[in-house]
Amino acid sequence: MISLRTENLGLQRGGEWLFRNLDISIPCGSIVAILGPSGVGKSSLLSCLSGSETPSEGKVEFEIQDGVVRHTDNISPDLGIIFQSLRLTDHVSVLENVLYGRVAQYGLKESIIGFPTPDKEKAFEILKDLGIHHLAYKWTSQTSGGERQRTAIARTLFQDPSFILADEPVSNLDTYYAGRVMGLFRNLTSQYGKIVLCALHDPQLISRFADFALSLNPAHPEGWNLREVQKKDEA
Amino acid sequence: MKPEGKKTKMPTGLPSRNWYERLNLLNILVILFLFLTIFSGKNLLQDNRPADVMAGVRYFFKKFFPPDFSDFPLILDSLGETFQIAIVSTFIAVNLSLIIALAASRNISPVWLVQLTRMFLNITRTLPSLIWAFLFVIFFGPTPIAGVFALTFYSLGYLGKFFSESFESMDIKVARGLKLIGANPIQAFLYGLWPNVKAQVWSHSLWMLEYNIRSASIIGLVGAGGIGMELNKAMEMASGFQKVTTILICILVIVIFLDLLGQAIRRWITQKINPKSISD
Repeated sequence: MISLRTENLGLQRGGEWLFRNLDISIPCGSIVAILGPSGVGKSSLLSCLSGSETPSEGKVEFEIQDGVVRHTDNISPDLGIIFQSLRLTDHVSVLENVLYGRVAQYGLKESIIGFPTPDKEKAFEILKDLGIHHLAYKWTSQTSGGERQRTAIARTLFQDPSFILADEPVSNLDTYYAGRVMGLFRNLTSQYGKIVLCALHDPQLISRFADFALSLNPAHPEGWNLREVQKKDEA
Repeated sequence: MKPEGKKTKMPTGLPSRNWYERLNLLNILVILFLFLTIFSGKNLLQDNRPADVMAGVRYFFKKFFPPDFSDFPLILDSLGETFQIAIVSTFIAVNLSLIIALAASRNISPVWLVQLTRMFLNITRTLPSLIWAFLFVIFFGPTPIAGVFALTFYSLGYLGKFFSESFESMDIKVARGLKLIGANPIQAFLYGLWPNVKAQVWSHSLWMLEYNIRSASIIGLVGAGGIGMELNKAMEMASGFQKVTTILICILVIVIFLDLLGQAIRRWITQKINPKSISD
């Protein structure tokens, strides 16, 4: 059973706390929506959880199986990240960007002779799920914002990590694909017990897909709130 | 009544500035440059050494024309050697420069390494290719190997600088993102940085190859192989001036051809990276 915990997590920027004393424990199989107005620190919290930013205080623990705890410096293959800026390699194909998701499993051989065909087929299947399989061999720089966002999501789905941190993963997607992506996340959490934390704005998506909502409070850095979300479709 | 069409200067409150307040570093440099040009030109024109330009032109046409094609196969052989010197030295320099450029890029390496590497690159750029050739002819003797070493060192300074500037213009966050999901530093470079910078590296390398072909044609003057050695021999012979003309024509033809080819390939690369760009 996996879980994600933070202990007294806090981040200070420019002399002011964005959040402080954040103590949360996320059980396996959960989708957590991080809420709050722009600039409140949602992306910064995700950066602290991913290890791309060092928190001012506190720690993050990823329990990858009972009793086995990892921290941000050694969780990498088990942690998938969908960045707000996507961080895709522009001048390679969409398919290749997706294959980079499993970079931790590849060695020098793949760098020289290319990626294994079964992996390419698996990546192509994910592109099909997200409706961008026709762009597989197109340079990422030649695709639209929404297509790029789906490429970044496909990369994380192909990586198949236990924990997914997603910074506004559906901001450039239409209602259909936003729902489809969240549905895929839902499937990963309910069927495989993974944990997904994502910054979200859309109340409908939150009430439909999230198990928990973590609200950050711009006025009170210690006034964060983690609550269970009442499902509309379950009611 | 005011005349029609005549504009009246309205008081806007905009404060006027004195002439010295308009001076900035750029303006001062332009004034300094103009001053130096006038001073230098005046000095050069005051040179009293006799110069009969028309006699020189007549001498040139009499001695250098018509071109002597009797040694054409030998000249072609030397041109081939020139080309080989340029190809090998550019290949070695491109590979070494890629490593050096990583060390010279502020967004990749620590400051001390960047400064050390840049100092090395500045030093290698300071010496012209002919001086490098002269040095390596002392080490290796008058052989094409001396030419290869000379142009390799000369190219390092330029390619190292160009490549590091290309690396610095890239968004390093892509590579950092890959590291966060488990890529090692080599993979982060290969998958996150290299694909985006590859076209620029090719473009710079091609430019260097063109440049090295031109340089390889003259380093032979100090014995570092290639067509320059034939040029030197021909110039030393009283009857060799017409051969000099043939050699110069050959160099001119091949350099123009490679320039055009290089331009076409660079244009193709640029359009591939950014289809909207208009560039040579």
